[in-house]
Amino acid sequence: MWLNRRTLLRSLATALLLADRAHAATVVDSAGRSVSVPTRVERVFPAGPPAAILLYTLAPDLLLGWPRANRPQECVYMLPDICNRPDVGRITGRGNTANLETVLALKPDLIVDVGATNETFVSLAARAQDQTGIPYALLDGRFVALTAAYQKLGQLTGRQAAAQELADYTSRTLTAIIGRIADVGAEQRPRVYYARGPRGLVTGLGGSINVETIELIARNVAGDTPGGLANVSMEQVLLWNPDVVITIDLEFADTVRSDPAWASVKAVRDNRVHLSPKMPFGWVDFPPSVNRLIGLWWLAKILYPERFAEDLRVLTRDFYARFYHVTPTDAQIDQVLAGRD
Amino acid sequence: MLEGQGLTIGYPDRVVGVGLDVRLAKGEVLALLGPNGGGKTTLLKTLLGLLLPKAGEVRLDGRALSSHSVRERARHIAYVPQTHVATFAFPVEAVVLMGRTAHGNLFRRPTAKDREVAAAALAHLGIAPLAERPYTMISGGERQLVLLARALAQEPQFIVLDEPTASLDFGNQGKVMREIRALAASGHGVLFTTHDPNHALRAADRAFLLRGGEQLAEGPVKEVLTQERLETLYGARVHKVADASEIAFLPG
Amino acid sequence: MKIRRSVPGFTIAVCVLLGGLLAAFTVGRYPVGLGDLVNVLAKVLGHRTDVSPAVESVVLQVRGPRVVAAMLVGAALALAGTAFQGLFRNPLVSPDILGASSGAALGAVVGIYLSLGVLAIQAIAFGGGLIAVAAVYVIGSAVRSRDPILVLVLTGVVVGALFGAGVGLVKYLADPYNQLPAMTFWLLGSLSAIATADLIPLFGPIAVGAIVLIALRWRMNVMSLPEEEARALGVATGPLRIAIVAAATLVTSASVAASGIIGWVGLVVPHLARSLVGPDFARLLPAAAILGGGYLLLIDTVARTMAQVEIPLGILTAVIGTPFFIWLLASMQKTWS
Repeated sequence: MWLNRRTLLRSLATALLLADRAHAATVVDSAGRSVSVPTRVERVFPAGPPAAILLYTLAPDLLLGWPRANRPQECVYMLPDICNRPDVGRITGRGNTANLETVLALKPDLIVDVGATNETFVSLAARAQDQTGIPYALLDGRFVALTAAYQKLGQLTGRQAAAQELADYTSRTLTAIIGRIADVGAEQRPRVYYARGPRGLVTGLGGSINVETIELIARNVAGDTPGGLANVSMEQVLLWNPDVVITIDLEFADTVRSDPAWASVKAVRDNRVHLSPKMPFGWVDFPPSVNRLIGLWWLAKILYPERFAEDLRVLTRDFYARFYHVTPTDAQIDQVLAGRD
Repeated sequence: MLEGQGLTIGYPDRVVGVGLDVRLAKGEVLALLGPNGGGKTTLLKTLLGLLLPKAGEVRLDGRALSSHSVRERARHIAYVPQTHVATFAFPVEAVVLMGRTAHGNLFRRPTAKDREVAAAALAHLGIAPLAERPYTMISGGERQLVLLARALAQEPQFIVLDEPTASLDFGNQGKVMREIRALAASGHGVLFTTHDPNHALRAADRAFLLRGGEQLAEGPVKEVLTQERLETLYGARVHKVADASEIAFLPG
Repeated sequence: MKIRRSVPGFTIAVCVLLGGLLAAFTVGRYPVGLGDLVNVLAKVLGHRTDVSPAVESVVLQVRGPRVVAAMLVGAALALAGTAFQGLFRNPLVSPDILGASSGAALGAVVGIYLSLGVLAIQAIAFGGGLIAVAAVYVIGSAVRSRDPILVLVLTGVVVGALFGAGVGLVKYLADPYNQLPAMTFWLLGSLSAIATADLIPLFGPIAVGAIVLIALRWRMNVMSLPEEEARALGVATGPLRIAIVAAATLVTSASVAASGIIGWVGLVVPHLARSLVGPDFARLLPAAAILGGGYLLLIDTVARTMAQVEIPLGILTAVIGTPFFIWLLASMQKTWS
């Protein structure tokens, strides 16, 4: 009889699981899959960076580790002992670096993945669940689906109350911001160019996850072509002539004002080139998770200054306390807002 | 005089021949005969300076060959290899012009004199009409003549040919042999290897028999090329045909 | 050798270059007409003309450096390809054969992985290309053989594969949200990010290497002969080979460092040039350089105009080069043996 690795793993895993936990709730994840979770969930493995962040905000103690080790500068804005939890790699999605045996050795009660929920990822989730015997929940990673994602995560981890609080904050924020600009017609919304890369010539096309929040409240100049990230030529940028440029790249932000090629771009002439904060997680782009929520306030204030008079520092302190579980000092907030490391 | 004394020839990993004494004087034709694998090509390359002798020395006009630079050597000794398949279809005159390389420095383009010499070489061998044809589109015999013209363009004192008649038809073989005699008559020293003792008889003044890396005999061609010697050289029967004035050898 | 015979060939090459220049300046996403172009030129020469700053920016800051870079890179790759085809006695050889592109690629992805600045990435890529070929040469020379060319080629394949594996490893470790897309774009080759500042580090090495190669063009005919024949003709093949390899590597590394990996140019353009001016390297090298510049100019114009996003140059050169090469193979067999 062939005892192959898969069967062995599966039997070991099942044995471990059946050992002392009783299966209780069945939760339906965002892809419509029924996932049985144990009554007490104490160890959760995040399949990728968005999952890790979402989990950290809701139930930091359950987090087994991070897909990529955090840098010390980032840990200043997080709970230190959670931030220093080990690098465990990522399972599915772009670049699978976690060794499944390592995952099993960590004995998680649950694997959570936040991101795309299409056929490919559903089958990847099913396969991972089969191989490891660990319940694998797939949650929708789109920005507008955050509220629902929090609720489901609350059910999965047994932290419904805390989850509801975060979900409420999220929906309040979204409603407030979107509502306040509801009367601004599509043609009046500012035209924004999202610049990535040291020369600023990489951008997100229409519908790409990198520009979700931008496209929520403004117009993405590259939005006509659907797709993900793309390289564009300087000429194309000049043709688009955006009103505002948002970037996350330090080198680009430092040099764009003195770069003759960019001099005639409207955003540069009007001095509306903004460097996105990124501590501990980016405010606009990656990883694409709840970290962008505070970024939405930031964007709103940049794009519609007359309509959003809130004090960003107050908002930041509040958000960081609720979601990242730390209260930053004024000096730290300044550091964050400057967009530096 | 191009000579080698007490030569041990071979490659870095093996010895091919020992104790060889070769002499080639200007105005003289020397034929090198021997079975395959006996060391003819190795000896040729050693005399050209393409291989260093493992023992002994090759001397050109009294000076050690190795003390000449590559360029100097090429101005004195020319090499006519067996025709081969060329990678690029250079026109014939470009091929012959390459013979002038040793007369110019690293960056110099061919001069008018270079072109004259090349043209003269072509004319001398009667292949001037081929000048603009691609090298790859002429016959084997014509290619051999082109390589000979290239050697002549080097304006050398010595010319070394490796099996010049190997891929030629019967008619062209005679033509090349006549040319070799003419070269000697005009003062060049000519060395050629051949599998055909009859070519040696007709075109050479002296013969050198090389078998298994050993010098079997060396001397005036009529003395050295006897039936017994040839049978020893090739380790096979040789049939001699003779009439009043000429001898010829056929495989036995 | 009648000079007259190659004049029509050279004329065609120059026309391709000039055509490429014209197209490059007037065609693009941003509408720039012939009149605008003339106005900008006039303004540069000191006349006062009415031209919008955006158009001026497009012509002088955006297309200008890109045009110069395309010509330099195209000429460099064509020169290196031609030189190597002669040196390795094989018309199917490209400038990557000794691993310069793989070495530069490894340098670049390491630079991207370490989040270095643009100029640092280019410098490391350039160094990587030189180091790869140096390694190939040192290893190849240590192996005693009667056919130094074959040993070089095989060593180049091996070293190239090794560096390629290194690239794969760095891509694997890279952050998929930020670094990996940057690496992928770089590896596919593009001139989209060329700015005026890049032109000096590009021009220097290419000028030096090109001058050396073109100066040695008369010797290249002889170098394309078998080793022993070349030496018997009076050429010191060893040092000359080093010089040609060094010069070709210099131009290739500089090009790859600036533009990423652009294949097929060094392979196709020498053949195109050969069909125009014949196989004599004395004419072939300059013709290849001119034609290479024009060729890449035309392709780069397509790359930045066909869609809103940039099409990587490496993809276009492969798509255009492959069928072209097949056609060349079929119709020009008599050019080689």
